[in-house]
Amino acid sequence: MGVWDDFWSIYREALPILLIALCGGLFAGLVLEGLIESVERFPGLLVMVPVFLATRGNVYGALGGRISSGLHQGLIEPRFERNDRLVNAVVASFINGIGISVVIGVITWLALLILGWDSAALYEFVGIMLISGVLTSVVMIFGLLILIFAGYTYGYDPDNLVGPAVTTLGDIFGMLFLLLSVGIVEVIV
Amino acid sequence: MVVPQGSLGTWEVRSIVGNMFPLLILLSIIVLMAGITLESAEELLEQYGILAVMVPTMVGTGGNLGAILSSRLSTRLHLGTTEFDPTDRVLWANVGAILALAATIFTALAVGAYLLGAVLGFGLPLSTLLVISLISGMSVAVIAIVFSFAATYASYRLGIDPDDTTIPIVTNVVDVFGMIIFIGVSGFVLGF
Repeated sequence: MGVWDDFWSIYREALPILLIALCGGLFAGLVLEGLIESVERFPGLLVMVPVFLATRGNVYGALGGRISSGLHQGLIEPRFERNDRLVNAVVASFINGIGISVVIGVITWLALLILGWDSAALYEFVGIMLISGVLTSVVMIFGLLILIFAGYTYGYDPDNLVGPAVTTLGDIFGMLFLLLSVGIVEVIV
Repeated sequence: MVVPQGSLGTWEVRSIVGNMFPLLILLSIIVLMAGITLESAEELLEQYGILAVMVPTMVGTGGNLGAILSSRLSTRLHLGTTEFDPTDRVLWANVGAILALAATIFTALAVGAYLLGAVLGFGLPLSTLLVISLISGMSVAVIAIVFSFAATYASYRLGIDPDDTTIPIVTNVVDVFGMIIFIGVSGFVLGF
């Protein structure tokens, strides 16, 4: 295969995925634009945004990779059932996803303290992260499993589905739930 | 401890969380730098709301490009078809494709942001958005390429499977560069 053919095959393979991610990213950006108004109420809120978004990819990308390897190896079946491996992977993702969200709230607060910047209270950051962490985990874990199982059943290689699905769903739902939980904490506190 | 293929061992909740959580904390600390950059640019984003619309894509795309290149490189290393020889033309096809993808996506980002801005009434001229998006996007693409090569080569020499730790670290580091460069270039172009 010539260099030119190689070039085109890589380009064609990756472009649709990146364009889907672009749409998710633009939607997330619109939500972020709306979130900027809340920064006055919660100074330092913007520090959490990129960390929270990156975590979605790190936690649920790993879950997706694990599930698709499990499917390929025949260790799990493409349906919701009481399979020890499936249940363990889901429970571990809930712990990782919610746990790291709380950690993000804490390290954001610490970073602002060290920098000496204006900051919302620690319990406000942790509250926002806890609520959005829980909501995103539920939607991401079940949404991802439904997509992978359906894709696998219809003959798509789950390896190719995981990356774009995580990026797009994570951007959209991550930002939506972040905005929602900022609203909830604003009302409660 | 050697875990036989297919045993429940690597599927235990304790082992999944125990292996991943320290890495997640490390990655969060890395990306915190992007957050601090974003927070420091709050006034710029308040004045030019359309920049906020571009942020998630600017931050994510560099990492995505790095992930695509890194996994292609590590697959080729596993297959023994790459020795990082600069005369290997397939490597250059990979680099060229990543740059072409970056040019396409960052042009589309500028056009998409321009259209959204026009509809919502807080836009910037298309030419300004193209300059900001392409200068920062192509710089991030070059950084993603350099880091992907360096990290894949390093983990190959050290005997670490790049899929486990190297790719997440490269993606997150490139995310940070994406944010810093985007905010820097935007501030410079808009004379903020």
